[in-house]
Amino acid sequence: MSHKESQNIEQATTTVTTSQPDDKTRRYDRQLRIWAASGQAALESSRVLVLSSSATSTSILKNLVLPGIGHFSILDATVTTPADAGNNFFLHARESIGKPRAQEAVPLLRELNESVQGEAVFKDVKELLGTEQGRDWLTGFSIVIAHNLDKPTLEELSTLLWSNPNGPPLVAVRSAGFLAEFHIQYHEHCVSQTHSDTAPSLRITRPFPALLEWARSLDLQDMDPTNHGHIPFVVILVKLVDEWRQSHDGNLPKTAAEKKEFKSKILALKIKPDEENFDEAEAQAWRVWSEPAVPSDVQALFALPPLPSTSNAHTPEKHATFHALLDTLAEFTKDPSGPGTLPLSATLPDMKSDTESYVRLQNLYRQWAEVEKNKFKELFKAKHPQLADSANPEEVDTFVKNSHHLRVLRGKQWGAFDKDREAVANSLMMAPRETATHLGLSALTNLLSSDASKVTEDALRSEVQSIVGEGVDLPEELDAAIGEIARAPTADLPNMAAFLGGLVAQEAIKMITEQYVPLNGYCVVDLVDSWTGVIG
Amino acid sequence: MAAAAVMNGNASSADWEGRYYHVDQILDRPGPRTDPSFLAGDEVKDFLRNKCKILVIGAGGLGCEILANLALSGFKDIHVIDMDTIDISNLNRQFLFRPKDVGKSKAIVAAEFIMNRVPGVKVTPYFGKIQDKDEDYYMQFNLVICGLDSVEARRWINATLVNMVDPENPESLKPLIDGGTEGFKGQARVILPTVTSCYECSLDMLNKPTAFPICTIANTPRLPEHCIEWASVLEWPRVHGDKKMDTDNPEHIQWLYEVALRRAQEFKIEGVTYSLTQGVVKNIIPAIASTNAIIAASCCNEAFKIATSSAAYLNNYFMLIGTDGVYSYTFEHEKREDCPVCGGEALDITISKEWTVDRLIEMLVERQDIQIKKPSLSTPGTHIYFQAPPQLEEATRPNLEKKVSELVPDGGEITVTATTLPFSLSLRVKYT
Repeated sequence: MSHKESQNIEQATTTVTTSQPDDKTRRYDRQLRIWAASGQAALESSRVLVLSSSATSTSILKNLVLPGIGHFSILDATVTTPADAGNNFFLHARESIGKPRAQEAVPLLRELNESVQGEAVFKDVKELLGTEQGRDWLTGFSIVIAHNLDKPTLEELSTLLWSNPNGPPLVAVRSAGFLAEFHIQYHEHCVSQTHSDTAPSLRITRPFPALLEWARSLDLQDMDPTNHGHIPFVVILVKLVDEWRQSHDGNLPKTAAEKKEFKSKILALKIKPDEENFDEAEAQAWRVWSEPAVPSDVQALFALPPLPSTSNAHTPEKHATFHALLDTLAEFTKDPSGPGTLPLSATLPDMKSDTESYVRLQNLYRQWAEVEKNKFKELFKAKHPQLADSANPEEVDTFVKNSHHLRVLRGKQWGAFDKDREAVANSLMMAPRETATHLGLSALTNLLSSDASKVTEDALRSEVQSIVGEGVDLPEELDAAIGEIARAPTADLPNMAAFLGGLVAQEAIKMITEQYVPLNGYCVVDLVDSWTGVIG
Repeated sequence: MAAAAVMNGNASSADWEGRYYHVDQILDRPGPRTDPSFLAGDEVKDFLRNKCKILVIGAGGLGCEILANLALSGFKDIHVIDMDTIDISNLNRQFLFRPKDVGKSKAIVAAEFIMNRVPGVKVTPYFGKIQDKDEDYYMQFNLVICGLDSVEARRWINATLVNMVDPENPESLKPLIDGGTEGFKGQARVILPTVTSCYECSLDMLNKPTAFPICTIANTPRLPEHCIEWASVLEWPRVHGDKKMDTDNPEHIQWLYEVALRRAQEFKIEGVTYSLTQGVVKNIIPAIASTNAIIAASCCNEAFKIATSSAAYLNNYFMLIGTDGVYSYTFEHEKREDCPVCGGEALDITISKEWTVDRLIEMLVERQDIQIKKPSLSTPGTHIYFQAPPQLEEATRPNLEKKVSELVPDGGEITVTATTLPFSLSLRVKYT
């Protein structure tokens, strides 16, 4: 599909200069403000597989079709029951009863967005797992989502997708009445566009040459009063830090008394009481209490161990460039001829200033950010010549631009948590209600694989005990969880389906667009007390 | 304006064996956290499916989801109010609407869609404003769910439902469930008027709207937003006089965009785009289907639990942040004793003896926990300042320049009203 289409939308959103946006841009306006043209393009080239067309499954798909994924397949070998016709919005109610469920659902989902392709596959996943061709088909998607799949099949599917480092992530969803959970299986997920709220360092204590030059050239005593009241606080602080260092052996203000003294120096420079730029400089003085360090989250990524060999997987190919960039970034911060920290960010916050000074400051930051980016690119080319040649220049730019907020998530195989008794016991202490609910749902999955009529509170409790091991105390929160599960073990409630439909689609969008930070572990949901929590 | 509601078959003939297999697992037996008053089985089903009447305010991003969830959950007498018509930018999330529906009433199209898709459900639309309806109208419902994007409308319905509570008549207390979203964030809450914290109690939790000082816009623009504000706030009235700016009119947006772009070029400011222009002048809030689905589901789940007593309901605030993993926080928001809607106590304010009435009004508009646009002020004996009618405005206008302390004694009370809000605020003034 739509390489051409995705280019169109990219152009349409970045180059509206003279004409109004086209219909497609107008349709997606409210979401383009969240993930921009690049996120939209990623969505449009994605292929999503959903196992089953339950109410929860179609709710998830609805929230993926609306924003415009490229293609979806529903794998479902069942026919619509009267119960399906009652709880699923994407069936023709009574008229769908007895007909293949996925086939009934696909047209009603497709009509939500004409640009999305979709198909119903009337086959059993077990059958596909049994053939080479079937397995290839299952691993050929961007993401696979399964709702209430039986345990042996889910285990087989998760093992298949886990064994291939380049295979799709697997979202496993389980719901029963008011309780539910879902897990995303992936080896690794790398994000440069996390859209973090924290602003990168302005590097006031380590100014680049042109900025320092400007600060030093200012004669604050003998200056036009209007200009004096419009010097951006960044320049004021750079100047004062420079002077402070000269009289303090090159050190920054350290003690409380020194910091107080530094602040009073700022205010003493005012020539009129209403000079807001100096008030702003005083309020922003904390920026000079320390050198611009690499944020600890990013620093930790430089020492990231290789993926554990027990997982039998190598770094996914699609992350090779990201890791090479990460390696280059570590080198960049250590380079003696470099700034000793992350590349400068070109983004400047608004501040009290006249237009000319602000625009000048903004241009200086932009130019120097460009200088450091080019330096970074040279290093990249020197260290990783092949990847530097093949890498998408936009990916490199985005990486450098967001280098203060990079994230790498390491995930687990579905079900691995339950086998790690120490982790489960810990989790029971740290997050009793979330862990109890998760264990109750694991127990349900186990029991349903043999006989649905066996789901009683006693059976659930003893199943939980066998997961955690004899001798582990079960918290009282477990009673609340298994009581609800025994009440409605096979209920796919419309409201829970809609709730999961939103949550799971949202995480899938974050995985596909590689923007924002997706779930790592299990997200557990309790709609009696209306909470969600993350464990594992 | 309202279209006549059409029943597509009466409730009993539309049902089929097994239709409620999923929901009935909840309604046939209690869970460990279910209140003993729960009447499992036929009684609760009869109430939900044949007697309960629910009002949905808003048929937009949340409203479409709410209507579908309620219908599938078994509510069969649903009313919906929305004054808006369908725009193409709604189609990425308001899933009951298609391109052919652009320009039609949201309430009417949504109601018809639900009735076609879910047999036996009656949805009665009203294409108009909530303020068109009186207390008798709101009194007919068991529950009200709000999916609105307007603070003003929420304050109105909240105050109306609080005012309706008659301690002698338990039926007069209408639970209000309110949802809201922005990007990957959202919240759902349950308000029991006069019992729990109300919408007005939490006004200070709202994000402060970004406002740019007029001197920045006029003299020292730095951001593309400053240039856009200059075009819309200063240039539009200067060039067009009394002609009203319509932010839904693409030609008006185009004009603002071009004017803003020229100013940006003059000042060498980068980043003015059509999309940003539209975002700033319409105050566009980013919105996606998934967040709306989560919040609407939470609202409907609370409605279902309240209507059936099948499980405890939310006490009283659920907040979701989906930007970094899945984070949510459920807590009890506390009532404010000096809430002008449900608190009963006067709000104490301390101001300088030198403050003029005009300065006090400025504070009432700005303060996060008050936010009253165009307030009128009076004391038991005197009109301090009235925004309307014109004669009264003119008569009281000279007071704007006077000091508050000349008009109201220390410890005295001022009553603040506004035509947009169905309540009055009592201020107890102290001077420094």
